Amino acid sequence: MNDFLQQFLVESRELAEQATEGLLALEHSPQDADQLDAVFRAMHTLKGGAGIVDFFAMDRAVHAAEDLLSCARAGTRALTPAAIGDCLACVDQVLQWLDILEQTGELPNGSDADADRIIARFAAAASPVYTEPSAESAGGQGWIPELLARHPGERSRAVTAVRHSPDPGCFFQGEDPVAKLAALPGLLAFEVTSATPWPKLQDLDPFRCNLLLSALTRDSLTETNNHLRGCSGSCELIALTGSGDTEGGLPARARELLAAQLALVREHTSAGSHGYLASAAMTGSNVLRSCGRDAEADQLARLATADSMEDTLPALQAVLTGLLKDDAVEAHVAPVPAEPAHAAARPETTSRTLRIDAERIDSLVRLTGELTVARNALAHLVKLAFTEANPIAPALKARHAAFENLIGEMQRSVLALRVLPLRVVFQRLPRLLREISDSLGKPVALKIVGEDTEADKAIVEMLFEPLLHVVRNAIDHGVESAALRAQRGKPRAATIELQAARQGDQVLVEVSDDGAGMDVQRIRAVAAERGVAKAEILDTLSEADLIDLVFAPGFSTATEVTALSGRGVGMDAVRTSVERVGGRVSIHSRAGRGTTVRFMLPFSVMMTTVMSVEAGGQMFGVPLDTIVETIRVPRRTLAAVGNARAVVVREQTIPVFDLAQMLGESAKARDADDATIVIAAFAGQRCGLDVDALGERLDVILKPLDGLLAGTPGITGTTLLGDGRVLLVLDIAELLQ
Amino acid sequence: MSISLSPGGTILLEGPSPSEDAELLLQLLLSNPKAVVDWRRCSAAHSAVIQVLMAAKPAMLGPPAGRALASWTAPAIASDSPQQAAGK
Repeated sequence: MNDFLQQFLVESRELAEQATEGLLALEHSPQDADQLDAVFRAMHTLKGGAGIVDFFAMDRAVHAAEDLLSCARAGTRALTPAAIGDCLACVDQVLQWLDILEQTGELPNGSDADADRIIARFAAAASPVYTEPSAESAGGQGWIPELLARHPGERSRAVTAVRHSPDPGCFFQGEDPVAKLAALPGLLAFEVTSATPWPKLQDLDPFRCNLLLSALTRDSLTETNNHLRGCSGSCELIALTGSGDTEGGLPARARELLAAQLALVREHTSAGSHGYLASAAMTGSNVLRSCGRDAEADQLARLATADSMEDTLPALQAVLTGLLKDDAVEAHVAPVPAEPAHAAARPETTSRTLRIDAERIDSLVRLTGELTVARNALAHLVKLAFTEANPIAPALKARHAAFENLIGEMQRSVLALRVLPLRVVFQRLPRLLREISDSLGKPVALKIVGEDTEADKAIVEMLFEPLLHVVRNAIDHGVESAALRAQRGKPRAATIELQAARQGDQVLVEVSDDGAGMDVQRIRAVAAERGVAKAEILDTLSEADLIDLVFAPGFSTATEVTALSGRGVGMDAVRTSVERVGGRVSIHSRAGRGTTVRFMLPFSVMMTTVMSVEAGGQMFGVPLDTIVETIRVPRRTLAAVGNARAVVVREQTIPVFDLAQMLGESAKARDADDATIVIAAFAGQRCGLDVDALGERLDVILKPLDGLLAGTPGITGTTLLGDGRVLLVLDIAELLQ
Repeated sequence: MSISLSPGGTILLEGPSPSEDAELLLQLLLSNPKAVVDWRRCSAAHSAVIQVLMAAKPAMLGPPAGRALASWTAPAIASDSPQQAAGK
């Protein structure tokens, strides 16, 4: 694939993302003009890109969406949820095309048919508006496109559309609405129609105004508004180009540029500034030409090419001053009450970003990992240096400390490169949620909190499937039907809240619903029926432990298998994928009040904190997040329970395993009086690991097992210790099974 | 008076036609339903006059002298409402 296409893919994806984000925001606040502008710009650029790579199907499809958005900006079409849905469908289609394009390097087959389908969606949505009989559509939205369609020649020149329905008694006020509109200075098209169908001639009251006037004009909204001031009845003025920053004749940006040129001209009045003046004149000329003021542009262009500056300087100054003054006067005449909000200054948020291939970042992360290992090695040397009364040892130690700080900082910054806001995954959910809630007929509102919380790219990307599953489950099983909710005194529409927050080194993500909560008795019954656990065990389990059973493989409580959930591959898959990245997931439920699914995820997958332990003469790492506590108890307090042993900690009996034995060492009697026990918890279970000694806490970058070691059970990865030894990091969950 | 009925039964509009003409024009059109309206010398017409012409849709003898009348009003009288025409 050529670079050009590669660039197109990257940019189009970003634009599609922006558009989606904006569209979803518009769903909540359809009046947000800034958001609408942003979506429009994204779509517009998307279309432009498609044109450049000759992807005409995409060009056409996006164009249809852009048309709709443009009407929405002009106020001629309301941005209904259906319209937003159409736009989203269009963006979805684009994303699918981009995927195919990326995989095959070629424009997707059948894209024309897809584009037709998308365009048909927009056309179907638009048609009822366009065909409404005019008499009824007096307050409707479709008049501008119709007006433009009848005057295609003026489409490009028209700046403002006017629709005036004068007060029926206006003739008695001395008004002549037709003449008033016909006198608009920049009038391009003008239509006089009846507001309501004409009565029989004998019933006509000639002095009761029954006119509906529509016009297209080259004048700006402000000018038109000033001209029509004092008209009775209703008067709609719509800026067609959507250039909300147009003040008077020139757009604000053009004015800025012209003002800058004028300043330049004033600064360089001395001889020898010919170059400055010529360039100022040329820039001014270009600015004016882009605003369609060709006559003035030509005038400036002539000045730019003049030979003698003595003559041109005053002329140039005069022209520029004149332009800005005219404009200022126009701008000051009166503020337009009807002027849409987007005329307000919008700070340009040009983000300073650099696009970098994810692989390069990963290699940087790997290098930092190596550096960490090197640092650990250095720490080892520093320790050795101290043992031999070395004079440079203190200096070495100080340097090492500084070095360590720097590396720590660098590690954090490098890991931050891989960080993404959770918004990336959250923003995909509202639409899917709507589809699910529609298909199940349960109205649901989604509330998102903390979407700016960040986490490692791998975590964020992993999170989508589990979240979707949990949200599905919540709507399908958690939320009651609207009728039942009403009966229980709850609002008909359920609320699902998606919440994210950073907690130290971890990221907390919660999905809560205000549904019925989980039926513990049914879980118990189903678990027994499906053999998830024995009945006598089930009887002893606490409510929380019972709820946790839904994560067990093969568990599904849906009495009715729906298309969405309840296929029994649900929550265990969720737990598996969350635990794969070192996270945990749990459920909290209150009967009648709702259910909360809580994900605790590591901030970064690359860095893990482990504690080293010694067993059977070897060092092992235990991930610190699985360790609850470490205790030292007299060996005689370890009670034998059948073949195993157990220890009682704070009135809780915890099974104890000999780590060395578990890892295949032969059992040997320990002579020490005290046993050192690491209490680990995983998936709600606790167990003790009997180890020989506790080592230190290490920040390490875990390397997955590869080569011969790949697939070794009980080991999640390896890391290098300071002295060059390899530390095997244990997978506690696997060991416990 | 800018409005008159010619001996040949043609309604003549001349010069600027003020709002007061609307009443008379309506009566003339009611009593002479087949009358042709000659507005070749009409320079301008008040909205009230225009709406009588739009409602009655008489045969017009033009083009009118006023440019605005010719450009914008004449089509409205010829086919009352382009929107309705399109909708039909």
